[in-house]
Amino acid sequence: MIKLTRIDDRLVHGQVAFTWVPSLGVDTLLIANDKVAKDEFMKMTVGLAKPASARLLIKSLKDAADLLCDIKSTSLKILVLVNSVKDAYTLAVAVPAITSVNFGGIRTREGARLISKAVAVTDEDISLMKEMLEKGIELEIRQVPTESKQLVKELL
Amino acid sequence: MILTYILIALIAFFGHSEDFLGTTLLSRPLVLAPLVGLVLGDLTQGIIIGGTLELIFMGNIKVGAAIPPDVISGGVLGTAFAILSGKGPAIALAIAVPVSILAELVVSGLFVFRSVLNKKFNQYADAGDYKKLQWLHILSGLLKPVLMGIIVWLALQLGAAAMKSFLDMIPAWVQSGLQVAGNMLPALGFALLMNLMFTKNMAPYYFLGFILAAYLRLPVIAIGGIAVVIAFIITQNKTEEAVDDDDFGEETIPESPRENLLTRADIRSMFLRSLALEANFNFETWQNTGFAFAIIPALKRLYTTRQQMAAALKRHLQFFNTSPYGSTLIIGITAAMEERNRVDEDFDEETISSVKAGLMGPLAGVFDSLFWGTFKVIAAGVGASLALKGNLLGPVLFLLIFNVPHLLLRYQLTFTGYKTGTKFLQDLAKNKVMDKLTKGSAILGLMVVGAMPATLMSVVTPLKIGGGDSAVRVQGVLNQVVPFIIPLGLTFLVFYFVKQGAKTTWLLLGLLALGFIGSSLNIFA
Repeated sequence: MIKLTRIDDRLVHGQVAFTWVPSLGVDTLLIANDKVAKDEFMKMTVGLAKPASARLLIKSLKDAADLLCDIKSTSLKILVLVNSVKDAYTLAVAVPAITSVNFGGIRTREGARLISKAVAVTDEDISLMKEMLEKGIELEIRQVPTESKQLVKELL
Repeated sequence: MILTYILIALIAFFGHSEDFLGTTLLSRPLVLAPLVGLVLGDLTQGIIIGGTLELIFMGNIKVGAAIPPDVISGGVLGTAFAILSGKGPAIALAIAVPVSILAELVVSGLFVFRSVLNKKFNQYADAGDYKKLQWLHILSGLLKPVLMGIIVWLALQLGAAAMKSFLDMIPAWVQSGLQVAGNMLPALGFALLMNLMFTKNMAPYYFLGFILAAYLRLPVIAIGGIAVVIAFIITQNKTEEAVDDDDFGEETIPESPRENLLTRADIRSMFLRSLALEANFNFETWQNTGFAFAIIPALKRLYTTRQQMAAALKRHLQFFNTSPYGSTLIIGITAAMEERNRVDEDFDEETISSVKAGLMGPLAGVFDSLFWGTFKVIAAGVGASLALKGNLLGPVLFLLIFNVPHLLLRYQLTFTGYKTGTKFLQDLAKNKVMDKLTKGSAILGLMVVGAMPATLMSVVTPLKIGGGDSAVRVQGVLNQVVPFIIPLGLTFLVFYFVKQGAKTTWLLLGLLALGFIGSSLNIFA
């Protein structure tokens, strides 16, 4: 079961390891990222930050989608991490079980604008976000679980 | 009075200067309230208020850009008004909570404003002018302490008299209700901590901590000691099944014997500068200028031309954010890569940025958990339990328990990072040191959190069963069977609501209401 799908361009870090994992009570941290899945160094650094209470899986987007659609994964309590709106979109299209996407942190970069204090999106991101909203997927901004949800559709 | 107000404003200034001083918890109420007490001639009261406020704000943690209420302005003003008007910790609390929430808005505004300065930083970097860049980092960093210091001063200068006459009007029943409510509020802090640490597997350690405190009446510091021993035993006997993705294989980053170009003084200087990592925190690029500020000693040693310096400065003005407590490891590793870049013509500069970016998130996870989840919890548990009795050792031990390991580790990691580069991390990954560390520190943190309801909360019931001489005091019975069951029950009640996703503000108001009602119906005291 997917407890949360989160966009965070730093993937695993303090907010994730230290607030989301315990507060959601997840037992599996699934990182869906094509680059990290192939990069031994990145795998190692992400492995260091793994909280003691959860197992860590690092998969390419496709493998992650397969895993999430697999009936066997329903017994797991999963926190899915992606690092871009595009990856979240790809995953959400492939996995019907994703009904809500949490926006954690996306840093500012060329062509992006801040829609919340820690979330910056480009025009391309916005059109993907609109598509997700049309599919009825909830898009919400929260950095840590104790914050209240800020709905993306009210900001676009 | 004018001098007194200025001194108190300086305490707020000092608290906000923490961002220059290594995020060393100088900003916490447990440290600042005693200072306010000292200025106002009542140190003991300051210490007690500090302990009380620390408990309420205990679950407030600073991770990433999630900015918690500004406990500095709230704590300092709450303490000052309470002591000036001769009221107790309950009044300090009633002022500190709303003030800190309001002040947080100002601080957030400042973090947005600082983004504007990024253009200026980039201009200086383009010109290779590290001196101006440094100065801007310091000046922009000073904005927060100066601004918040002035706000605190204005609040005292303009509001102290009005506040005193207002507080004098508060009737006695409100005071006693507030007292009881104030005694209940730590349950919220404990519940928020539990929300971060409490899992089914780890639950026994929580209850072990509670039993040691409630039945054996051990002080928090002793429970911390026992927890360390248990954590060692558990992590050494661990033969747990390995998880899927631990197959990291051999790293391919070449380890060529190298000549160290940086001196020990350079590395020490990077450590000292790392203390100002968060000084210019902003919502666009976060700690970027702090990172550049810290690595400048290495850049000065390695690069002689203006172009080289400009390229390096620009590289380090990219987005950066990590836990300040482990930042020196990344700074050291980065310095080693800059050195390679200097001597090896084929070195790809992009590697520096990508390794930095790869490390900042995971290491933030490691060090935030270790310091916020373990050291801070133990420091606050020990410190607050002593401070509530008015003992000066409270704030002193609070700072020492946190900062002795923090500063030793932070200093050492600068050298480790520089000397061994990423190899140190690969060894950690291979030996599963991190697994042991996270498990061990979770045990430690949770046992101390378990001890808290029994050592730091005093809510009792004055209820009696029957009448006249044969009346049985309910609390007397409870004490014999399950002492401190009321604080423990309240903590779990709040924890339940936190798990249900209740908002902190509502829980706070709920506990206040429960305290008032309980006190006026004589159920709680």
